[in-house]
Amino acid sequence: MRYLVKFTKGDAIKFISHLDLMRTLQRVVRRSLIPVDYSNGFNPHMNISIAQPLPVGVCSKAEYLDIVLSTTLDSSAIKDVLNKNSPTGVNFKDIKEIIATGEKKVPQGMAVIDAALYDIKIKYSSEENIETDIQKLLQMDSWVILKKTKSGEKLTNIKPMVKKFDYTLKDNTLFISSFLSCGSRENLSAELLASFIKSNTSNVSEDSFTYICREELYGIKDGNFVPLYDYFS
Amino acid sequence: MINNLDDILYRVEKPARYIGSEFNSCMKDKDKVEVRFVFCFPDVYEVGMSHLGSKILYHILNNREDTFCERVYTPWPDMEALMKDAGIPLFALESKDPINRFDLVGFTLQYEMSYTNILNMLSLGDITIRSSLRGEGEPIVICGGPCAYNPEPLYDIADVISLGEGEEVLNEVIEVYKANKGKKRFEILKALSSIEGIYIPGFYTVTYKQDGTIEDFIPKYDFVPKTISKRIVKDLDKANYPDKIIVPYTEIIHDRIILETFRGCTRGCRFCQAGMIYRPIREKSKETLLKQSEELIASTGYDDVSLSSLSICDYSNIEDLVTEFIEKNKDKKIGISLPSIRIDSFSVNLLKEIQKVRKTGLTLAPEAGSQRMRDIINKGVTEEDLMNAVNSAFASGWSTIKLYFMIGLPYEEKEDVSDIGALADKVAQEYFKIPKGVRSRGLKINVSSAIFVPKAFTPFQWAAQERTEVIKEKIKLLNYSINSKAVDYSWHDSPVSYLEAVFARGDRKLCDTLIKAFELGAKFDGWSEYFKTDTWKKAFELTNIDGDFYAYRERTYDEKLPWDFIDIGVSKEFLIEENEKAKKQILTEDCRLNCNNCGINSKLMKGGCM
Repeated sequence: MRYLVKFTKGDAIKFISHLDLMRTLQRVVRRSLIPVDYSNGFNPHMNISIAQPLPVGVCSKAEYLDIVLSTTLDSSAIKDVLNKNSPTGVNFKDIKEIIATGEKKVPQGMAVIDAALYDIKIKYSSEENIETDIQKLLQMDSWVILKKTKSGEKLTNIKPMVKKFDYTLKDNTLFISSFLSCGSRENLSAELLASFIKSNTSNVSEDSFTYICREELYGIKDGNFVPLYDYFS
Repeated sequence: MINNLDDILYRVEKPARYIGSEFNSCMKDKDKVEVRFVFCFPDVYEVGMSHLGSKILYHILNNREDTFCERVYTPWPDMEALMKDAGIPLFALESKDPINRFDLVGFTLQYEMSYTNILNMLSLGDITIRSSLRGEGEPIVICGGPCAYNPEPLYDIADVISLGEGEEVLNEVIEVYKANKGKKRFEILKALSSIEGIYIPGFYTVTYKQDGTIEDFIPKYDFVPKTISKRIVKDLDKANYPDKIIVPYTEIIHDRIILETFRGCTRGCRFCQAGMIYRPIREKSKETLLKQSEELIASTGYDDVSLSSLSICDYSNIEDLVTEFIEKNKDKKIGISLPSIRIDSFSVNLLKEIQKVRKTGLTLAPEAGSQRMRDIINKGVTEEDLMNAVNSAFASGWSTIKLYFMIGLPYEEKEDVSDIGALADKVAQEYFKIPKGVRSRGLKINVSSAIFVPKAFTPFQWAAQERTEVIKEKIKLLNYSINSKAVDYSWHDSPVSYLEAVFARGDRKLCDTLIKAFELGAKFDGWSEYFKTDTWKKAFELTNIDGDFYAYRERTYDEKLPWDFIDIGVSKEFLIEENEKAKKQILTEDCRLNCNNCGINSKLMKGGCM
């Protein structure tokens, strides 16, 4: 039985890597004693996969995990036992069974992702020019930055991948809420957007950490962006 | 609490080392405890988190309602630099409080080469480095662990040294500290000195002879004892062992459950400090071990259990233990591993049973090449044992074998060293005795040699370390003595072993050198990329200390040794007798077979070790 699990990677553990998070989740599952499926073969692997890897330094309120169990269990019971066995920093929010309707195989979580919503906080030594700097940026047709691709680095216009960009200013901090392309078809990392903003605004506090939190992941259903959790019914 | 950590963490190589909050780590309300203890491991997180003793003590201290024990590891130099820039003092992983806010700061002494890290950590934590200058209100610095058996080079760093196993004594330390909290440092230390196994270096003076050797070790006060006995746990089945251990987010060196099966060793190898200081032998019952492994598997989610002890295959019930463990866990996909094995076919076959996938090579430690030399060190292994063992290994599908040797052992001749090459060749020949269809392809014999370092409380504690020049020659000789193409030899003639020898048998005079080396920038001396010979040379020069006096000088039996005031239970007479037998190549039996009267059972076990 396949389940979609929504969980958080909390602020306290934002600096662990994707591999560390995978290992952590596997141990949570083992401690929970839920009947997870293993791959066949010489070195059996737990049948779980994370929908969209998070970079080191980024936390998330909406991570998704596909997990296959050998029996059907009550979703809220799974959630309870997982939470009981998880470290601070990982919190399981919702779990639902993915039931195949009709002949077609239900795609994996990672295959349907098209966008992600991020919260970004950039610190400045003074907020004097930010408003004008941002306004200028918003009027530009293209946001060009060196972007790493499989074949090396390439100057890329990232503006088309920024689907929404809201901001507020408070205490020398720029709070951005932005909706970005995400997934295997087109992807813009929030870190790249943040570094574009930082290099195009003045008085950035250079040594300060830039907070990034993934708020939600989305797929396109009937022409609309819907949170991954609601994508599957 | 430090709250601008993020601003530096995003710039370090491995930030997960410094975040804490791991599963099974302990969080308490610091206002509701009476004693705050910070357990410091003077090496990087991945190393320190793999250490079993720290896990036991963390568990024991946090089991107490009145105490909150936290952890700290040495920040890697990239982190250290950023912490200094940002003005962030060394902080504990749990509360993120600076370590100078704690009542007790504990350091474990696992290897001499971590001493500069201790000084660096104190300094990063804004704690005065010298015990004699440490002020009222500063934490009490307590050290323990195997290197505490010669604590003198740290005499003015540690306020308190704990000798022997920490399980029981640490509870007593907490009780006494609690009862005296708020008093003057002197009063607290005085109270602590009444606990058995506790040594307060500042309460003693050492005088020296003209030739630089020790004249006398004198208590300054009549309330402190002239000798200090190590502490042991008598019954390991009843001893407190963690039922849960911290599961790190990031990968550590030994990322698995470590199950301690017994303490002590009955083999009596004459070079081995652990074999003497951890006496007597004490085993946990099979039932206890199976129960503890079950609890730990459930509470951690680890899928690998490593049995741990000195000479693991000597556990009396090893076969039953392993068989029952496998039977119990076969559906849970849990593996069991042995860290090292004895040189015989029984052990090889046992390893074959438990290691379903033969992914790694097999490591065996004959320690010396010639029978003469193996008898000198009382290794108790013959060439026939080794050939039987490797024959079984090749027949069972291993084709990579690692052989570990020491060079520079006392009474070693050049022939003994070239015999190492000959022995490795013979191991290679054994492979070809196995039919082609049976043996695995790709024979590889990896020979590695380490430089012998004489240690306190061993029969070789009086011996001179081999000089670097001679070691270099011997390494060359060994290299030439290998004929087989399948044999690879790797070695390091690093000056680290010289420094290790200096500190392993050093006296109080070395404390100044240590502090000087730290001031000159020495740190992470156990890591070749950070070890700097020149820094140490300069430190010796500036403090007017001749390292050769400690490393290269043979001592006489009547010399007063810096660690003579410690009673480990094994008598000096026994060590002398063993050294004399070494000279004559006379073996001493395994003490499971016959008591050799080392002294431990009359002093600590009160009649019988077993």
